[in-house]
Amino acid sequence: MWALEQPCPERPPPLLADTPAALLAALAGAALGAAALVAGGWLPGAALAVAGVAAGHGALLATALAWALGGRTLPGVGLVALLALAALAARSHPLGLLAYAGPPLVVARLAARGRLAALGLGGGVPLRGVAAGAALGALLGGHLLVSASLTLGVAVGARPAGELLGALAYDAGANVLAAECFFRGALFARAQRRWPAAGAAALSTGAYVLRYLVDPLLPKSVELVVGAAFYLTLLGAANCWLLRRSGSLLPGLASALVFFAAWRLCDAP
Amino acid sequence: MRTRARPALAVATLALALLALTALLARDPDGPAALVRHAYLLPVAGAALGFGVLGGTLAAGAAVLLMAPVVLSEIERAGLTTEAIEGLVSLGVLALLGTLVGAATTRARRELARSEALVAVRRAVAGAATLEGALGRLRAALARRLDADVALVARDGARALVAGGARVVPGSAVARVLATGRPLFVPAAGGGPRPRRAFVTPLVAEAAVIGALAVEREGGLGGGERAALEALGAHVGVALENARLAARQRRFADELAAKVASATARLEEIDRAKSAFVAIASHELRTPLTALQGFSELLALRRLPPAEVARFGRIMHGEARRLGRIVSDLLDLSRREQGLVPALQRTAVDVAALVADIVEVLRRAAPAHPIEVDCAPGLPPLDADPDALERILTNLVGNAVKYSPPGSLVSVRARRSGAGVALVVEDRGRGIPAAALARVFEPYYRAPDAAPAARGAGIGLAVVKALVEAHGGTIRLESTPGVGTRATVTLPAVP
Repeated sequence: MWALEQPCPERPPPLLADTPAALLAALAGAALGAAALVAGGWLPGAALAVAGVAAGHGALLATALAWALGGRTLPGVGLVALLALAALAARSHPLGLLAYAGPPLVVARLAARGRLAALGLGGGVPLRGVAAGAALGALLGGHLLVSASLTLGVAVGARPAGELLGALAYDAGANVLAAECFFRGALFARAQRRWPAAGAAALSTGAYVLRYLVDPLLPKSVELVVGAAFYLTLLGAANCWLLRRSGSLLPGLASALVFFAAWRLCDAP
Repeated sequence: MRTRARPALAVATLALALLALTALLARDPDGPAALVRHAYLLPVAGAALGFGVLGGTLAAGAAVLLMAPVVLSEIERAGLTTEAIEGLVSLGVLALLGTLVGAATTRARRELARSEALVAVRRAVAGAATLEGALGRLRAALARRLDADVALVARDGARALVAGGARVVPGSAVARVLATGRPLFVPAAGGGPRPRRAFVTPLVAEAAVIGALAVEREGGLGGGERAALEALGAHVGVALENARLAARQRRFADELAAKVASATARLEEIDRAKSAFVAIASHELRTPLTALQGFSELLALRRLPPAEVARFGRIMHGEARRLGRIVSDLLDLSRREQGLVPALQRTAVDVAALVADIVEVLRRAAPAHPIEVDCAPGLPPLDADPDALERILTNLVGNAVKYSPPGSLVSVRARRSGAGVALVVEDRGRGIPAAALARVFEPYYRAPDAAPAARGAGIGLAVVKALVEAHGGTIRLESTPGVGTRATVTLPAVP
C-alpha cells in the first residue's frame, strides 16, 4: 500500500511545471506578427487564419504534450507545424482538409508508444466509455439543436456541405483535439492531483469556456455567447467526469466531437 | 449481476419518465404553466432519494434541460408572461429540490455508514484473542465498509503491528503521521492516469498516538469523509487500546494458569517424592538400627570372647556413624529447605590425607571396586569443614561405587584450580541421562532408570551441593550414558 511503503513527497510539483514558455512566446509573437502583416496589407487575410489555427491550437497541444513528456517541446513544435500546414492546405484545396488528419495521427502514434499516458491516452480504447461519451455529446448536441431552433431563431442544417465538412475536419484535427488534450488531459488531470475533483473540474471547465468566449470566430451576440457558455460548461464538466470515471481521454473526445458536429449544424442568423 | 442491473434499470426508468413528461408538456396547450410540469418533481425526488446528491443533481439538471426549451420558447414568443414565470419558478424548484434532497440523502447515508462503521469496529475487535487478530479483522471490516484499501498500524510496546502491508517505510505518509500525530491527506498517491487519494489519520488513546489508519481509494475522498475518518480513527484507537489491554490480560491469565498448573504438578511430584523418601529413609534408618539392636542384644544376652566383642563393637560403631550421617544429611536438607546455610566449622584441611583416609574406608567397604587416587603434589590446604568435606567426598565416591558395575575403575583426583583445589571423582558406570542430569541436585529426586539395587533417599547430591556452596565452591556434573560420570568439586584453599 502506497501510504505504508512509498516515501511521501513534501509537496507536489507546481501546477504549471514543464510549460514550454519560450515556444508559447514564439507562437504569440508569430500570431501578432501575422496580424500586423495582414493589417499592413503585406499578407492576405487567410494568413491570419492560418497563423491563428497554428498558434491557438498549437499552443494548447504543445503545452499538453510538454506536460506529458516531462518538458520536451520538440513533438509540440512538430504539431504546430502540422497544424499550420493543415490550415494552409484546407484553405488552398478542397482535398486539403485531409491534412487535418496529421495532428491526430501524430498524437495517436505517441499514445501507441505509451508516451501520453499522463494525458489519458494510450491505455486501450474503453468502448463503453466512448459510447457513453458519444451519447452524452448527442444528448447535449440534440438539446442544442432543439433549443437553438426553438428559442434563438437559429437555422439548423442550412450550412453548405463543403463548409460543414471543413468545419468537422477542423474540429477533429485541431479544435477538439487541442482542447481536450489541454483542458482535460493536461489541466484537469494535473489539477485533480492537487485539489478535489470538483475544484479541478471547475478550473478546467472555466478555462475551457473562457477559451471559446475569447475566440474571434464566435459570433458576439448575447444569446449566442450565453448559449455557448451554457453548453460548453456542461460539456466541459461532463468530459471531466468521463475522464475521471474512465481514466481515458477518448470518451471526452467522442463527446466533444459529436457535440461540435451538432454545433456546426447550426447556422447563426 | 443483480446489483449492477438494478441501478441501470432505475436510471432508464427515470430517463423514460422525464422524456414522457417532456412530450406531455410540449403538447399541453397551457405551455410551461401546465399542471403536468409538477410531475417532474417525482423522478427528480426519486433520483435524489435513490442516488444521493449526484443522482439528484443530475436528474434535476436533466429535467431542467428538458423543460427549458418549453419555457424559453414561451419567453421568446410572448415575453415574461405569468405562464413563463411559473415555468421559470418550476425550473428553479426542480434544481433546488434535486440538489437539496440529494444532499440530505447523501448526508443521511453517510451518518448511517458512520454508525455502521462504528458497530463494525466494535464487532471486529470484540472476541479477538490477540492484538494482531483484532487488527486484521478490523482492517477487513473497514476495507469492506469504506470500499477502499485500508491499512492499520498499532504500537504494542516497542513493536509496531501492521495490517494491510509488510512494514512502515521511513518517510512514508504513515510514518509521518505516527511522528507528528496529525492527519495527512495526499490527493495524488502514486502515478497512473486516475489519481489515488490517500488519507492517514492517527489512532489516539489516552492522548497518545498508538497507531495510524490509512485509507486509499481511486476517486473521491472529500473533506466530509476525511472528517468522519478522523472521528473513526479516535474510535478505532480506543477500541484497539481496549483490545490490546484485553489481549494482555488474557495472556497474563494464560501464563498464570500455566504457572499454577506447573507449580501444582511440581508440588504433586514433590509430594510423591517425599512419600517415596519417607519410605526409603525409614528403610535406610532401620538398617543400621536393626544392626545396632541385634548386636547389642547379642552383647547383652551372651557371653562372647573378647575378640568377638571387639568385632561387634566395630560393627556397631560403623552403623552408628552411618546413622549419624543420615541424620546429618536430613538436618542439612531441612536447613536448606528453610533457606539456611549449613553450619560449618572451617579449618585448614590437608586434602591429600583426607582423600586417602576416605578412599581407604570405601575400599574396605567395596573391595570389588578398584579405586584409584591421584593427588597432585604440593596442593594447598583447603579452607573447609573437615566433617562436611568428608561427607562430600564420601557421597560422591560412594555414588561412583554404587552406580558402576563391580570391577570397574573409580578414580579420585585432586588438582590445583585457581585459588582453590578441584576434586574430580570419575566412574565408568551406566551414566545419567541428559534429562535427569539437570535434576539430580534436587532433593528427593532419583533418576527414573537408577539402578534398582542402588538404594538411596535422593538427598545425597542435594546435601553435597548445599555443603559445597556453603564453602563458596562449585560443583559440576558431566555424564555420558553408557560411558560414565564425572563430578568436579572446586573448593577454596586457605588464603
